[in-house]
Amino acid sequence: MRRQRIRSWMLVLGAAAVAVLMHAGVPFAQAQFLASFAGVALLAVAAEVLLIRYPLRPEYSDRGIWLSVSTPIVIAVILVYGWQFGVWLDALITLVAGTMMVYLRNIHPRWVAVNTFQSVLSAWAAGIATTAIFDSGSDVWSVAAAGALVLGLFVYMLVNGALVSMTVALAEGVRLRWVLAQTLLSLPRDIVLMTPIAFLAMAALHTYGAVGLLGVLAPYLALRQAFVLAARQQELYHQTIRSLGFLVQRAHPYTGGHLQRVSMWARRVAERLGLPPDRCELVYEAALLHDLGKTVLDERILNKPDRLTPAEWEEIRKHPQLGAEILRDTPFLAPIIPWIALHHERPDGAGYPFGLKGDQIPVEARVIAVVDAFDAMIGGEAPNQRRPHKRPLSLDEALAELEQGAGRQFDPQVVAVFQQVVREWRVQREARAGA
Amino acid sequence: MQGAWWALGIAVASIAALAYYAFVVLPARIHRWRCDGLRAFARLIELRTQGRYGNAEPMAELASAVAQRLGIPLHERRRMELAVYLRDIGMVAIPYYILNKPTPLTPAERDLVGRHAEIGASITEQIPGLWHVAPIVRLHHVVYHEQPDAPLAAHLISALEDWIRVAESADADTAASVLKQGAGARYHPVVVQAILSEVQQRALDGVQSLTRSAALWL
Repeated sequence: MRRQRIRSWMLVLGAAAVAVLMHAGVPFAQAQFLASFAGVALLAVAAEVLLIRYPLRPEYSDRGIWLSVSTPIVIAVILVYGWQFGVWLDALITLVAGTMMVYLRNIHPRWVAVNTFQSVLSAWAAGIATTAIFDSGSDVWSVAAAGALVLGLFVYMLVNGALVSMTVALAEGVRLRWVLAQTLLSLPRDIVLMTPIAFLAMAALHTYGAVGLLGVLAPYLALRQAFVLAARQQELYHQTIRSLGFLVQRAHPYTGGHLQRVSMWARRVAERLGLPPDRCELVYEAALLHDLGKTVLDERILNKPDRLTPAEWEEIRKHPQLGAEILRDTPFLAPIIPWIALHHERPDGAGYPFGLKGDQIPVEARVIAVVDAFDAMIGGEAPNQRRPHKRPLSLDEALAELEQGAGRQFDPQVVAVFQQVVREWRVQREARAGA
Repeated sequence: MQGAWWALGIAVASIAALAYYAFVVLPARIHRWRCDGLRAFARLIELRTQGRYGNAEPMAELASAVAQRLGIPLHERRRMELAVYLRDIGMVAIPYYILNKPTPLTPAERDLVGRHAEIGASITEQIPGLWHVAPIVRLHHVVYHEQPDAPLAAHLISALEDWIRVAESADADTAASVLKQGAGARYHPVVVQAILSEVQQRALDGVQSLTRSAALWL
């Protein structure tokens, strides 16, 4: 079904793009043909060099998005030569660079087609928006030109981001809202970075023609570097969490992928509770790392098949605070520290380490507590982790037990939402098994 | 046309700013981010071994200063700093009871603990952004006369680690004499020279920055 959806999405995109190109006609028949063609060739090469892999969150997609930073030049061409040129130029650049990527980095040709369609549509949207306030070819040294430039960049990035998000959401089967939040988050920064380049490109094109674009090449490399590093920063963040997650799994072996699944549930619960999107992402991270403190404990206690002695329990009960202590000096994970430290608190005050009550416990910690307990009940841990006197419960039994604990051990609101989430997950799973 | 020159000037200035941002500011920030992330791993080891291993904070700063003295280039210094945080990560694979044994270790156990550098390097090699740090992690207990060709950064960490340990358990003078005795045999002579002059300089400046941070165990 996913395949069908993406196929029809590609058809829609393709039809729209072809319509736009036909509407634009063939502008190269006009006078600037040769100069523009030189510019196109230059840009195609540049775009190939400049293509950047922008990582998405690893649980959405390992592939990430390939991003070329040719947008400023396309906008400049739109403003100086008209949108018809911009649309064709962007189509050519994306096609040439994409075809190179097929050979160089083993990308499926399908994505090249999708990318080309997306570029054409984005360039068209930017062109329509800019013609509203600026006539192409008139004086570039004006406020109207500068305004049109920023507007064009904004519209291009917005439309492109939306289309790309739609494609990723369909291809990877994740929610459009999540991907959209990811791709549009960097929009203001991207526009700030691209504006000076676009302005310079516009001035160069206006004054010297396509040859003037040569002068833009050096700042282009700087721009690319900025994007590469920004992407790297994103990647580092996920790598740190991933690596810490591996260590957690080592100390406390779960069956494969299980931790990821309960973390997904935790995020969905947080979403339903109306937390802001960035907070929901952090809940996912915190759910993944909530047992980080166990990496510090004696594995003989963690792996002990018999009942624990009081002294050993004392040791185990240190793990929330130890987890918090591990992350103490890592500022970018600071928001999740309290949630990790408090994920064994209970609303009735009988939890540890502090015995907080009700609203004193952050809602994120309450979510993680429910998910963690549920996971233990259904026997999420590896077989050697299961206590012999506790057999794993079925999903229904575990949900019933959660309900019994609601108000005392668990937050009733969180339990209610969590039940919904698990039931929906089960329905989906059964539907998938049936199909 | 006056306006045109202004606009051009602004464009060029903002591109210079962009270049500075892209080639100076961002790399430094990324390096800080990495260190922040790796600090969690160092602290994990520190907590697991009750502070006997993994302690990175005092070392990272001192190692950078010594490396600067040695004229090690910036990118290599950054690599070394990452290695300081990661060097004992192999300890996650060493059993808890050995790491926290109150009695002296048997030769077999000591052998096992000694393998943490190799284990740490193989862990580090598998992390895409950190594979280049693995050689230093592997050699962070390098002995000069055995492998004089090891990276200077590895020699530095090896010598500095011993200096800090002795300085903490005894005092700075004893630590200095240990390094001097080992120079050319156990430790790289140039590195010893640099460490000692850096430490001397700090003593003159009255900086007492090398006392271990207290109360690790909560």
